Amino acid sequence: MSKHSALNTFGRSGNPAFTRNFENAETFSQTERMTLDGAVNKTAILLALCFGGAFAGWNVPALMVPGAIIGFVLALVTIFRSPAKAGSTAPFYAAFQGMALGGITVFAEMQYPGIGIQAIGLTFGILASLLFCYKSGIIKPTENFRLMIFSATMGIALLYLVSFIMSFFGSGIGFIHSNGLFGIGFSVFVVGIAALNLVLDFDFIEDGADKGLPKYMEWYGAFSLMVTLVWLYLEILRLLMKLRSR
Amino acid sequence: MNAVFFGILTILSLFIFMNLGKIKASKKQMDRDDRINWGSKRRSNVQQNREGSKIIEGSAEEVDDSAQK
Repeated sequence: MSKHSALNTFGRSGNPAFTRNFENAETFSQTERMTLDGAVNKTAILLALCFGGAFAGWNVPALMVPGAIIGFVLALVTIFRSPAKAGSTAPFYAAFQGMALGGITVFAEMQYPGIGIQAIGLTFGILASLLFCYKSGIIKPTENFRLMIFSATMGIALLYLVSFIMSFFGSGIGFIHSNGLFGIGFSVFVVGIAALNLVLDFDFIEDGADKGLPKYMEWYGAFSLMVTLVWLYLEILRLLMKLRSR
Repeated sequence: MNAVFFGILTILSLFIFMNLGKIKASKKQMDRDDRINWGSKRRSNVQQNREGSKIIEGSAEEVDDSAQK
């Protein structure tokens, strides 16, 4: 007990501004934390924006290319700049990527009517079934699992990049686009890897909520889930197109 | 028929996601030793800051003005 009464009344610092800030900091640490509810709600917002963008892209297919380019740039900004900015970039990413998906789906529908709803149904079906498998503990992501999925994803990305560069020289890796057994097998493999990336996203969100990461990580978790869903949808669409063209 | 089936599948799956997503994962999933350590980079930074900081441990003493006189 101090003999200075001011210290007993106000603590070591009598400045009320400091006292108020410490109280605020305590409130901030308790309420501004990542939760499962928040991450799921933000994913729902991003999905709604993506559907809105897809509606625009469906009606105006010319939006497909700008939507894809802007969406790609926004994804790179969100991943490499700062996860803290995900709250402002992820909604725009979802909307622009939706425009691209809407345009792509229109062209796919022209060739194979009814393929769009099949791809959407299968994408969300895989999302729900893998979420159940994750929550119940049927699929247990480990460090080795993460390493395996990460390596396979990087391998696929590299293969697509090489194929893209080769296409400028009138060449390409034929089997990944073919509708033969090898081409379909490759697409099934890619769909599998894209789907298992969802498990990593679920684990990231669950772990973040468990450890009480900052609130903005809800947006980042929702964004990463959105990126995987977009990739999964495109791969399922590609697989269905290969199957229908046989 | 195709649209109805896949449309119902989409709505049902979204409903499952919205409800199941908010529930904490089972103990079987969470209480494992081989869980992915997502915060390994962040934790190592914190540890590095702790090691690099100069904290002198000791007890605080009150200065009595009358003793100096």
